[in-house]
Amino acid sequence: MRPARLWKLANANLSRELGALAVSAGGVALGIGCLVFFLALGRGLQRVVRDVFPVSARELEVVVPQVGVGSLFGEVHLDDAALARLRQIPGVSEAFPRLALRVPAVTRYHGLFFGREIHMGLEVLGIGVSPELFGTDARLPFADAGEGAPIPVVVNRRLLEIYNKVFAPQRGLPQLTDSMLVGFQFPIELGRSYVAAKTLPGTYEAALRLAGFSDRAPLAGLSMPIETIRRINQRFGQDATGYSSVLLRAQRSEQVGEIAASVKRMGFDLDESERNRALQIGAAVELVTLALSLLAALITALAAVNIAQAFHAEVRERTREIGVMRAVGATRGDVATLILAEAAVTGLIGGALGVLLARLGGFLVDRVAHKGLPEFPFKPDSFFDFHPGHVLLGVAIALAAALAGAFFPARSAAALDPARALTES
Amino acid sequence: MSAIALRGLRKQYPPREAGGEPQQLWRGLDLTVAEGEFVAVEGQSGTGKSTLLHIVGGLDRAYEGEVVVLGEPLRGLSDARLAALRHVHIGFIFQSFNLLGELTALENVLLPDYFGDGVPDAERRAREGLARVGMADKASARPTALSGGERQRVAIARALLARPPLLLADEPTGNLDARTGEGIIGLFRELHRDGITLLVVTHEARVSRAASRVLVLRDGELFPDPRLEGSA
Repeated sequence: MRPARLWKLANANLSRELGALAVSAGGVALGIGCLVFFLALGRGLQRVVRDVFPVSARELEVVVPQVGVGSLFGEVHLDDAALARLRQIPGVSEAFPRLALRVPAVTRYHGLFFGREIHMGLEVLGIGVSPELFGTDARLPFADAGEGAPIPVVVNRRLLEIYNKVFAPQRGLPQLTDSMLVGFQFPIELGRSYVAAKTLPGTYEAALRLAGFSDRAPLAGLSMPIETIRRINQRFGQDATGYSSVLLRAQRSEQVGEIAASVKRMGFDLDESERNRALQIGAAVELVTLALSLLAALITALAAVNIAQAFHAEVRERTREIGVMRAVGATRGDVATLILAEAAVTGLIGGALGVLLARLGGFLVDRVAHKGLPEFPFKPDSFFDFHPGHVLLGVAIALAAALAGAFFPARSAAALDPARALTES
Repeated sequence: MSAIALRGLRKQYPPREAGGEPQQLWRGLDLTVAEGEFVAVEGQSGTGKSTLLHIVGGLDRAYEGEVVVLGEPLRGLSDARLAALRHVHIGFIFQSFNLLGELTALENVLLPDYFGDGVPDAERRAREGLARVGMADKASARPTALSGGERQRVAIARALLARPPLLLADEPTGNLDARTGEGIIGLFRELHRDGITLLVVTHEARVSRAASRVLVLRDGELFPDPRLEGSA
């Protein structure tokens, strides 16, 4: 049977049964609409989780164990030798050491801040990192420029989001972008703490200059060049030989497990708190998405049952017509193909309508969220991420459900005895 | 060569009551229809006239005996081969026309073109067929807009689309008034003159009068009709 003729005949039959077509396609549309809606919502929420907890599946943070046999005997140190050994673990492509600022520091700012007079004093947590870690995220030179020169710092991008969504609105401060802030200088007093109310001997003042924002910078603290931190620690007589942690990057994400095992065999530990949090939230989102998708799949399955009933009824009504087709030369295969083609059209219409319903639902939810929900950090423009693959999947499932529903009716239509069909009243 | 050859044809139906004997429709029919012959089969309701046409057309395969149509023994043909035989070599005309309501007259005539490998030059042939049965101006009309006679003309054009050498007609004038029926019978005469073999089952004497041979199906056997035999 040629496709154009098949389409014409299927179309003619469907136009006769517009009511049944609407019910069948509507059922499919409901199921597919729910499926695509929930998949897009799950994907959108995963994106938010990734924004809030940007963890790389290829990275591990190595730390010295807080309590361990090795540390008790003083054998485990994250020094240059350990760094070299970590770099040699099979599968490790890069290793970035981190060194914490081991002296207290505060920043005080009194003056104009983008048009507003502010007075601020904060404790500063400094973390020294390798300049290569940030790559192009650091838009100004990120290297130790020596005593007296401003210290370049990179800040986690999430801090800017928290400032804009929470801190600034509550205090009437201006909204800022990273471009506005890059190059901004503010003072730092090294060797002094407001919280502990102490001032170390040799306390001195320096300037910090914002060099950029990066998701790779630790959330708590200001990232500075590791050589700068080493120099400051040395100046205050602190240990300057080891590292606080080392960030390992695997060549491939599937190697992370083996690398983690190697790290633990070397006596080190892994700081997975943020990674675990992200994974747990991501898993919860996935679980809910899966449950809702199963519900949508159930609706689609019910739609397939409805299609089966509709097509069974249609075959019964069209028995004589099927007999006529057999009389003019249709084979059993032609009859089955015709019924399945009608089902395919029903499924495709239902699938397309379902995708449109999902898009419309997503649009409405976003609108309500935009107007009804208060501003909060990482509030997305859209809670949905309609991936083309989901759309194709939705239409494909609609097609499959319709064909599955029409399978037995098509088979029984093909099996009709043409002589008996022609004598049906 | 004969167009149709039946030898010892029997048809059995299930018993009316559980445990009863199966019902035998015929006692073993023998019939030979020559190419180009116009044969009418008369008989009362329930004698199996329509069943005979269905068997000859390969629509009913549950029978005993031998059936050869246009040189093809039907017993050994697959479903697809039988469909191909009906598609190209056999045209069916039914008492109740059996047009598809969603299709226009032209599309109904084109129905055989929808199946198998289609029909060569189908649309031109369909229009010619409609013109031949006097329906050229109704090509776009749907069956509901046509009278009974017009519908039967469209059905005849459909049966002729593939230019089959054999036409099987089941009470073709049964649902038509006398005047309209005469027009259809006239068409059959034309087709007979063109060399097409016709096997028509009917209970109307006016149809039988147009045939070159008339047989009566009675008591499970075929008898020549002494009134009309050879009178066409």
